[in-house]
Amino acid sequence: MKPAPFKYYAPVTVDEALAHLAEHGYEAKPLAGGQSLIPLLNFRLARPSVIVDLNNISELFYIRPDDGGLLIGAMTRQRQVEHDPLVAERAPLVHEVMPQIAYPQIRTRGTFGGSLAHADPSAELVAVNIALNGRFRLRSQAAERWVPADEFFVGLFTTALEPEELLVEVALPPMPPRSGWAFQQITRRHHDFCIAGVAVVVTLNDRGQCEQARMVFLSAGDRPVIAHQAAEMLKGHAPSPELIQAAAEKAARDEIDPGSDIHASAEYRRHLAGVLARRVLTQAFERAKARETGKSGNW
Amino acid sequence: MKVHLTLNGQATTLEVAVNETLLAALRRHGIFGVKHGCETGECGACTVLLDGRPVASCVTLAAQAAGHAVTTIEALGEYPEKGWKPTSELHPLQKAFAVSGAIQCGYCTPAMILAAKALLDENPHPTEAEVRDALSGTLCRCTGYVKPVQAVLDAAAELRGEKVIELKSPLAAPPGLFRPPQEEAGPPPVPSSFPPAGGAAGPYPLTATEARLEVRVAQETRPKTTYVGRPEVKVDAVKLALGRPAFAADVEMRGLLVGKILHSPHAHARIKRIDASKARALPGVHAVLTWEDVPRVAHSTAGQSDPIPGPLDFFSLDNKVRFVGDRVAAVAAETEEIARRALELIEVDYEILPAILDPREAQPPDRRTEVAAVFAPEDANSPADESQRLAADGHVRRRSAGLGSPAGANHELQGFPIIHDEPDYVPFGDCDPQRNLAAAIRIDLGDVDAAMLQADHVFVGEYSVPRVQQAPIEPYVCLTYWDEDDRLVIRTSTQVPFHVRRMLAPVLGLPVKRIRVIKPRIGGGFGNKQEVMLEDICAHLTIATGRPVLMEYSRQEQFMASTSRHSMHFRMRTGVMADGTIVANEMLVLSDTGAYGNHALTVTGNTGHKAMSLYDVPNIRFHADIVYTNRPPSGAFRGYGVPQGFFALETHMERIARELGFDPLEFRLKNAVKPGAEHPMSKVWSEGREAHGEIIHTCALEECARAGAEAIGWQRGQGDKGTRRQGDKEKAFPSPPLPLSPSPLRKGLGVALVMQGTAIPNLDMGAASIKLNDDGSFNLLVGATDLGTGSDTVLTQMAAEVLGCPPEDFITYSSDTDFTPFDKGAYASSTTYISGAAVVRAAQQVAEQMREVAARMLSAQGPAVEPYEITLEERRAWAPDGRSVTFAEIALHSLHHAQQHQIMGSGSWVSPDSPPPFAAQFAEVTVDTETGQVRVDKLVMALDCGVIINPATASGQVEGGMTQALGYALCEEMVFDQAGRLIPTDFQKYHIFRADEMPEMRVIFVETFEPTHPFGVKAVAEIPLDGVAPAVANAVYDATGVLIPSIPLLPEKVWRALREA
Repeated sequence: MKPAPFKYYAPVTVDEALAHLAEHGYEAKPLAGGQSLIPLLNFRLARPSVIVDLNNISELFYIRPDDGGLLIGAMTRQRQVEHDPLVAERAPLVHEVMPQIAYPQIRTRGTFGGSLAHADPSAELVAVNIALNGRFRLRSQAAERWVPADEFFVGLFTTALEPEELLVEVALPPMPPRSGWAFQQITRRHHDFCIAGVAVVVTLNDRGQCEQARMVFLSAGDRPVIAHQAAEMLKGHAPSPELIQAAAEKAARDEIDPGSDIHASAEYRRHLAGVLARRVLTQAFERAKARETGKSGNW
Repeated sequence: MKVHLTLNGQATTLEVAVNETLLAALRRHGIFGVKHGCETGECGACTVLLDGRPVASCVTLAAQAAGHAVTTIEALGEYPEKGWKPTSELHPLQKAFAVSGAIQCGYCTPAMILAAKALLDENPHPTEAEVRDALSGTLCRCTGYVKPVQAVLDAAAELRGEKVIELKSPLAAPPGLFRPPQEEAGPPPVPSSFPPAGGAAGPYPLTATEARLEVRVAQETRPKTTYVGRPEVKVDAVKLALGRPAFAADVEMRGLLVGKILHSPHAHARIKRIDASKARALPGVHAVLTWEDVPRVAHSTAGQSDPIPGPLDFFSLDNKVRFVGDRVAAVAAETEEIARRALELIEVDYEILPAILDPREAQPPDRRTEVAAVFAPEDANSPADESQRLAADGHVRRRSAGLGSPAGANHELQGFPIIHDEPDYVPFGDCDPQRNLAAAIRIDLGDVDAAMLQADHVFVGEYSVPRVQQAPIEPYVCLTYWDEDDRLVIRTSTQVPFHVRRMLAPVLGLPVKRIRVIKPRIGGGFGNKQEVMLEDICAHLTIATGRPVLMEYSRQEQFMASTSRHSMHFRMRTGVMADGTIVANEMLVLSDTGAYGNHALTVTGNTGHKAMSLYDVPNIRFHADIVYTNRPPSGAFRGYGVPQGFFALETHMERIARELGFDPLEFRLKNAVKPGAEHPMSKVWSEGREAHGEIIHTCALEECARAGAEAIGWQRGQGDKGTRRQGDKEKAFPSPPLPLSPSPLRKGLGVALVMQGTAIPNLDMGAASIKLNDDGSFNLLVGATDLGTGSDTVLTQMAAEVLGCPPEDFITYSSDTDFTPFDKGAYASSTTYISGAAVVRAAQQVAEQMREVAARMLSAQGPAVEPYEITLEERRAWAPDGRSVTFAEIALHSLHHAQQHQIMGSGSWVSPDSPPPFAAQFAEVTVDTETGQVRVDKLVMALDCGVIINPATASGQVEGGMTQALGYALCEEMVFDQAGRLIPTDFQKYHIFRADEMPEMRVIFVETFEPTHPFGVKAVAEIPLDGVAPAVANAVYDATGVLIPSIPLLPEKVWRALREA
């Protein structure tokens, strides 16, 4: 099996790539790591007439410190993110999640930005970037704009990207002090896309009350779901087990809209979302407290 | 376009198409160490190193390699000895993989070695967890990953200079190969939660890979041997470690065409019109075949001995399609691209027919058999009610009742789908295509109904098992061509080369003598390739075009248009006395053969033949209906019906033991068949042929149970639910689980006892021939089909033992219908036993001839020696007085010097016995009661397979078999949508276990000496599949108090069961 024929461009600069996209519009498909796109091409489920391969654009491969946070070039390989000490230090949630994405062959090739632009609602990085308040830099020949992660994903495999635009960079802001994070997912087998998953970042104020809880559900609808109501319940309160339970139940009951497939029914996904929400909130608050009291050397 | 890259260290320019994958381009340029296993990057067989890092070349475009360094297995090492020129020898990883038994079929070996190399290049001191992570992107269906992980750790040690790996067999004879077993560390603590890093499900706690292999001797009757019993390196290990072009598709041929099949999009339809004219007109298309073009010959695809024990209901191409994926047409074209476009140009008008997608609805409602009536959808009586009703009235009649009344009036049938309504259908046995019945079995021993009435307790239970796929990493692949004698050569990935030749002759209109079947190395089969399913259509295309044709299934085709394990529904009814003696046992089965009746009768017959023989019960009933449905054909899958039966039997036995308050293991042993007993089902069933009773000569089931119980820590007591030893029936079941801690996790232990068979008695025949060469080496030619199991190696070891020289003195070749003697093929766990005995016979003839020549030579030099006084040992023939001649001297003498003749022998073997191997399988599980996730922490299998010829290959069989069975227990399932389309058609949706999620596995061989075989062997290949699923389900029962009567134990299923309990 191999892909249907297409025109192939392998530009070496972003400007060149954007020129191809501007010329071909909807006919063109940018090719990042290709670990989702090439299977679709192999099955001819996608038949773009033009492929714009981004793998030779060296200016898109980087991880840089940025004012306490991070800037990650869209083509940075997942494997590099996984092993980068700066990511481990400044975005421990990303560091913790990376090994759970597929397997080594895929992470060698797969890119940080490619996973985001593919916008699979069960993809780990999608949820994690929202939980971390990531911002995405989108460029076209004519313009450049920044889009917050929670506005980028607009539907099933659908993003705010226009056909002539490229996602070129992700900015992850520094986590506030007294923050904790957690990610858990339930897969049928390790490495699979998840049946249910939750990423969360919580922040405590100096009185130990929840200041912010940003909880994002995977496989909970046609796009990642942010639990705003649960966050409201937690805000301003010390995170007791009862409160955590109530917030988790609220999110699972009222805020997500999971579907059914051969792996799990919607009802079961909803149940799992509640269990996982409780577990990740508990873990994240523990980490936030540990960091506050200096228990955790390497946060 | 031209792509400039560095390929295996050489600056290279490849001409590639822009839409070509790197995998396709490399193979097209003769780099055959890169293997095709899927199109989605999920199996990893196509792994190459791109700038030193592993990537899946099937999801990388060839164009993307421009300017980069690509490394394949071809760059790694060389055969250690190639004449006068020094070689780079094998890479330490290649040596380690060969020596540690990490290579079975070898199809994924290049990928694993490359992935491991990338790891070791940057991390010389990997932990086991890191090794498992590095291998996790490469699926292996053979090994269970135990030995590959060990190999990588060993290679790392050699690369660090800490050890030297010798490319020869580890000398340590059993017991205690590799490392000695370690002391049990007592019960592991219950963790408070699954490790959070991998989410609640994983990663699995990594266990020390110890390749713990124990061989214990139950009977001290085993003769002393030199080569038998040693973990010899597989005879094909080096070539597979080197990635040599050993597989069916690894050939280049001028004029080669690509064959492709148009598959049916409908579950059941008649082809009203088919027009291939546009496809035929496409430049580059050389043939398009539809049902109008090829001879219509009813045949079976099941690779079995003559006569085929099943209906002849399959046609190379037909005007009716019977499942989504069935054949509509076939194309041969110059490229895959052209072939695919041609398929799209074939116009087909279908008359869509109602389809049968549920085996319970296969028979017309007014004409159901009694068995079918039990499983009919509207029959919704609860098992408890059924129990009383059936026990009270004993309404199920004896065999004489037959299958009920003959065909009802035809008008009643109108509108009801009949899948096989073709007039040229050739029936077999009790099949009845008019009610979609492919086969039926009615076996009654003793008087079950009377015994049920007298039993103190009668237990009824319903169980079901899913359809699952063998999923060999090498999909179906076949190459056909006319040779220079205009004989048709079929080079194919098959388990049954001789059956392919015999069965295809009438289909192709060629005499057998004009067909030659070559079986190269096989990338896994597991029963999937005991099917003649691609060869016919490929050969038709070669006949049509006169050109060589290569057909390779994609992974999607492999899932939807090959064979799979029969799904089955069971009803068990068992009568037990108060003391735990089982007095009557009944198993009713509804089995789904899918669209064709290949293996219908024999698989399901085997279900009863094995499962209903484990407990020596005087009154046995086994009634089965095997029905047609509009789903892909079921077929042979390692275990051949037996894993299905043991899931039902052994979960049912668990229920009985617990309800009656017996220790589940003791209850089983009390009733299990004992050595010296007659095999209960042998006198009534022999694959649809005349049956002969067999005595079970060897059975170390009790010793296996004790050894396994000790290894799993059975004496640790009950699981968290606390039901195992409670005698109080009232409390045993309904009491709510009392958590030991706030943790939602529960641990439990489970057991299943199982048995299998060894070959089909009075039918399976294997043959071998051996000839002596000038240098004292031998050609060993076997018809037996090594599909990765190591049979070539164990057969060589047996010949070596008889002839007194090491296995490396043999050039072993299997199998080619032109060169090797007949063998029925690799199935029914028969090769070591049947083909092995044939090899022993051939070797004995050769030994006898060598002794005669040696006696003449020695007598001419000194005192007279009689042939019978000569012993063959260490490559020499020895006289009693210590004089000797070498094998090379014997060879030169007999071939060149005096009384010249070729020393050679041939042997055949068929056995009236099918001695059963026995085993006890144990599982330790952790259940997350909040989420329903089941994690298997440990599997133990203690088995009596007779004498173990090669502990490395035998334990590899067990580890790999248990891993397949673990998938059956937990996650594998072929699910169909309402139109009959298979949903999981890739390795993302169809889950098989990866290296980093394996439980600890422990294998204990308890040896007996089976007297019906010269070396005392019994089978090992299939039995590991039998007991894992029931042991896991029983362990979940132990942990939670809930018995889940169906597999796989998906998290949602477990969660629902716990919630409803």
